[in-house]
Amino acid sequence: MANRIKTIDITDALPDIDDFCDIPNARISGEIFHRQDIYEQELEKIFARCWLFVGHESQFKKAGDYITTTMGEDDVIIVRQKNGSHKAFINACPHRGNKVCFSESGNARGFICNYHGWSFNIEGNLIGQHESGIYESSQFDASKWGLREVAQIDSYKGLIFATFDAQAPSLEEYLGPMTWYLDALFDNQEGGTEFVGGCIRSTMDCNWKIAAENFVGDILHAGWTHDSAARAMLGGAVSKVSDFEESYSVNWNGHGYEFALDTVGNVAVLGESALNKYLHTIKPSVIDRLGEFRANMIGSVSSCTIFPNFSFLPGQNTVRIWQPRGPNKIELFTWVVVNKTAPEDIKEKWRKGAMITFSPTGVFEMDDGENWEYCTKTARGRVTSQQDLFVGLGMDTYLEETDLPANVYSGQLNEANSRAFYQYWGDLLKSPSWDAMPNNNKGKAKAGPKASQISDKTDGIGEK
Amino acid sequence: MKRVFLCNVSELSVNTVRKVDNAEHGDIAVYNLSGQYYATADLCSHATASLAEGDIEDDLIVCPVHWGTFHIPTGEARDFPCEINIRTYKVEQEGDDLFALIADKAEDPSLIAKG
Repeated sequence: MANRIKTIDITDALPDIDDFCDIPNARISGEIFHRQDIYEQELEKIFARCWLFVGHESQFKKAGDYITTTMGEDDVIIVRQKNGSHKAFINACPHRGNKVCFSESGNARGFICNYHGWSFNIEGNLIGQHESGIYESSQFDASKWGLREVAQIDSYKGLIFATFDAQAPSLEEYLGPMTWYLDALFDNQEGGTEFVGGCIRSTMDCNWKIAAENFVGDILHAGWTHDSAARAMLGGAVSKVSDFEESYSVNWNGHGYEFALDTVGNVAVLGESALNKYLHTIKPSVIDRLGEFRANMIGSVSSCTIFPNFSFLPGQNTVRIWQPRGPNKIELFTWVVVNKTAPEDIKEKWRKGAMITFSPTGVFEMDDGENWEYCTKTARGRVTSQQDLFVGLGMDTYLEETDLPANVYSGQLNEANSRAFYQYWGDLLKSPSWDAMPNNNKGKAKAGPKASQISDKTDGIGEK
Repeated sequence: MKRVFLCNVSELSVNTVRKVDNAEHGDIAVYNLSGQYYATADLCSHATASLAEGDIEDDLIVCPVHWGTFHIPTGEARDFPCEINIRTYKVEQEGDDLFALIADKAEDPSLIAKG
């Protein structure tokens, strides 16, 4: 049989976390983007414990369909089983540790190690070896040496997540009320979504948190960073976000979604009017399905990160993982997501549009890349890295009175989600176990009765 | 020549294989390829594996362990890592019963699997 992974020991927390992550005072420091010891703590206390996005159900059509990806820096294989479920295994042979699957995706009867011919079926069981007689005469117990199975795997609306930590809370609890917002992109039509085309892989010389934080709640950069690209794509500037009458930042467990309610602000930057038209065409059915509020989010000016490193942009329909590769480097795994029921030509326009804007050569990705790389590179300076960085916008924008779920803040030009992201990050680095994690959620765990209808700015901006 | 009962025809649907235990001669794999019946040694000639647990692809049996193949009608090893042919047996049908004819000595010594 496959074998459950051994839970790793959690080492002591770094002593100076509050020095470089002081969220009550809206302050972080650049060393979090550079220090090797902080990075090693992240691999252990974040990437070996949190739920990580590993694939979309549409990537698996039949038993034996697999993809390879990484969870943190750990190589894993995700493979569809005969009963339609998915299993995740460490992509390393339990004999000498060689990688057992080198392809990014495909269909296989199982996985055979190149080194000594250990053979595993798709359930992860060790079913044989080259020169099997010597194992038999050594009283070898094959049932103890299957592929190491990742502790938990689960999915939400086609999105498959896995965690190395058997003690981690369920995916449902981990995502909490963020699922209500995820539905705006991933469940706005019957049949849900699918990935089109393959995985686009690229690297950037930046820390993974810079990218994750950009998507968790930084629309502020867009009007400035992307001005020239927007003029090229749209023939005009990016929407002036401060002109939107109503917009929000919402977060939970370090995840964050910032959004306006303008329906097509994001999709418009792809420069394909047919896509704007498609969203307007499906909108009445989205209102029936999700209510008016979320129907306004389907392609609006918005972005989201599910902690720690899974992000997407509704409208541009780009989905990505920021894979950590040391403190100064990320590998981007990027896909394009579309509604399954969308017409083929619409799917193709989305694939091309996403490639033109958010891919290694995409005009918007280029803009972001240089900023992110220099946010990381400046932290190499011993003195520079010790200086404070400001994350204090929107400190008094928490909305007490709202039927919207999660921790809700007024306005998307707001660093509330960035603060929540870094707070959760710091809490994980400090916590020896999930039970020790402080609960900083203060909003509703479930949407209130009026959440789907409200579209007027709610009263009740309260204390933080 | 020995005549060994394998199974009933009705137990062997089209394009399937099943294993028949045989302590004396080694386990036998019996196949139904589009209504034609064949029998071979069940043990792979490369490593320990029951061929009856493998998949049939056209007229080849794919070993479930290292995915090498054998030609079912002749027992010929076709794909790496299988290099030693496996023994085959003539199959006789009598009503609903299938029998393998096992020679006291294999006609071709190269067709004796290590099992």
